[in-house]
Amino acid sequence: MKSILKIALGIIAAIGGFLDIGDLVFTTQAGALFRYDLLWAVVLGVVGIAVYAEMSGRVAAVSGRPVFDVIRMRMGFGLGLVALVASTAINLLTVAAELGGIAIVLELLFDAPYSMFVIAAAIALVAIVALLPFGGIERVFGYGGLLLFVVVATVFHQNPNWGDIAQGFVPSLDSSTLYLYFVVGVFAAALMPYEVHFYSSGAIEEGWTEQNLKENRLNAIFGYGIGGVLAVGLVIASGYLFHPIGVEPNDLGTVALPMQGAFGETGLLLALGGMLFCVGGAAIDSSFAASYNLAQFLGWEWGRYQGPRKAPRFTASWLVFLLLGVAIAQSGINPVEITEYSVVLSVVALPLTYLPVLLIAGDRSFMDDYANGRVATLLGWLYFAVIIVLALAAIPLLLATNGGGG
Amino acid sequence: MIGTGRKRARSSAALLLAALALLGSGCGDLSNDELNRGVESLSALAAQGQLVANGVARDATKATYARVMAKTLSEQSDHEAEKLADATLEEPETADQRHAAVAVAGEISGLLSELQTFPGDERHGALVQKHLEEAQEKADAIVAQLSGDAP
Amino acid sequence: MKREGDIYVVHRLLDEQICDSDGRRIGRVDDVELQGNPPRVTALLVGEGLYPRRLPRRLARLARRISGPERWGGNALRIPWEEVDDLAATVKLRKKAEELGLGMGDDPERWIVRRLPWN
Repeated sequence: MKSILKIALGIIAAIGGFLDIGDLVFTTQAGALFRYDLLWAVVLGVVGIAVYAEMSGRVAAVSGRPVFDVIRMRMGFGLGLVALVASTAINLLTVAAELGGIAIVLELLFDAPYSMFVIAAAIALVAIVALLPFGGIERVFGYGGLLLFVVVATVFHQNPNWGDIAQGFVPSLDSSTLYLYFVVGVFAAALMPYEVHFYSSGAIEEGWTEQNLKENRLNAIFGYGIGGVLAVGLVIASGYLFHPIGVEPNDLGTVALPMQGAFGETGLLLALGGMLFCVGGAAIDSSFAASYNLAQFLGWEWGRYQGPRKAPRFTASWLVFLLLGVAIAQSGINPVEITEYSVVLSVVALPLTYLPVLLIAGDRSFMDDYANGRVATLLGWLYFAVIIVLALAAIPLLLATNGGGG
Repeated sequence: MIGTGRKRARSSAALLLAALALLGSGCGDLSNDELNRGVESLSALAAQGQLVANGVARDATKATYARVMAKTLSEQSDHEAEKLADATLEEPETADQRHAAVAVAGEISGLLSELQTFPGDERHGALVQKHLEEAQEKADAIVAQLSGDAP
Repeated sequence: MKREGDIYVVHRLLDEQICDSDGRRIGRVDDVELQGNPPRVTALLVGEGLYPRRLPRRLARLARRISGPERWGGNALRIPWEEVDDLAATVKLRKKAEELGLGMGDDPERWIVRRLPWN
């Protein structure tokens, strides 16, 4: 029993902050607009990130290569640079959105100006990273994110029609463009690449070897599995409350309303607290992913464990990305809007960072006996096909639905 | 020579962007569909406002949360009211509905502002919830009229 | 190390991470120097000055503006092939970075770190 608990806690720390502002926004909107009809898309996305993360973790452990090392090596300088620029731009938007998200939640809790909280959030993140050991950081944000299990409690309190919910897990393609846009959005929000890039770099930082492959698989299945349960819960809770009365969630605060409805102030505080930790963890993950990718691509020394003296360019770039994120978050654009763009654009760029990892993960000359087996190969290529389709459909759908405005 | 070339490129880019912006904005014409959409979003705002007000009425929420939510929703309602009021109608016969919609938006905004001022007062919360329900019904009625008018 | 099939070696070498004998990361193989007939790898080339070579023409001009002309010993460095110790997930060198004049980019002395109040 004790060892299972230890493993579970390790998984949660490794995944840390399973949901970010993109998941919170898109699941809540999906539930409000389409009730339970998009549950299948959530599951599709969650399984997708588990596949991508498992491969990236395995590649890192066996070959010693994090994602952007694989990209530079496999795609060369020119094409790799395209992947880097796209990835960095999107990560920047994501950092801004997450910082904005932290500020919104703090504003809802403490009613002081949003812009003050953006700056406070950035300073707090720098302090946390500077003072806490890396493992500690992951644990704080991972366990804190568990507060969001109040969502699961809310669903059981609501006692929805389970038959209708089961129907939602069956894929259906409604003809409306708005529905298709949300299929892309919900999937993309679950499969945010920065999470995987951060995970793969973390594996190298921890000095993973073949011995860690079992842990890698557990992280992928159960870590993202937990995230998936929460995401599904958000869709259901939101669908049950918002769909019948026609609420359109356009703010982050709306995400917490079902929990307030079910459990009053306690539910509200647990929900807001969980959201704070999830979005906070995501801010760290996305800002680090941006620095990891840049440093790895250019060959700089990198790593949280190296510290600012041994890896000054890496550290400086991290601070710059945070600063730029603050600037964008302060620019007056609603973080929820920034989120919509960062999520949708990230799936457009996803093929560039997914394919090289898939190819290396299946390449015996790099992976020895740990190359993709039959299941991994099938899933890996299946998801590549799905990603390509969604990547092509994303921008047309974004324009056609006026950014999900309908 | 390179300098003037760049300057010229910049000003023509600005012109192009301005032209695109004008075209994109449709010069503020409001079609029946867009009016419909606008009123629907008012109904949605009222619905959400009721949930927030209900929380206040039952003393089952945090005052800061209720205040900030009320403020955000109120701003959205104002924004919608401005959009509807400023635009020129494509179909002039919907003028009555547009007028009613702007009035409802104002009501919703006002009710939410009250909630903003008294986010801890249970009696106020209950009253605001009731009036928001009435406002939502008015908005839904306008939508029904517009759908009836549509060919 | 395989000597057979130089094209394979170049393909295998290009864009790899380079580490010194201490395991410090000091850049990537941005280009490879080939000499003789049949061509043999004589050196690894590292540095931002080499990026324009790897890009299509239009981007190359922009890159040249940013990185400046190729300055050997500055933004372009030459690592003789003899300095390479091992070739696995990274290209490992025989010596430490300082002995080869590498890793200046991450040398904290050149950075603000030295000018920070608590240093």
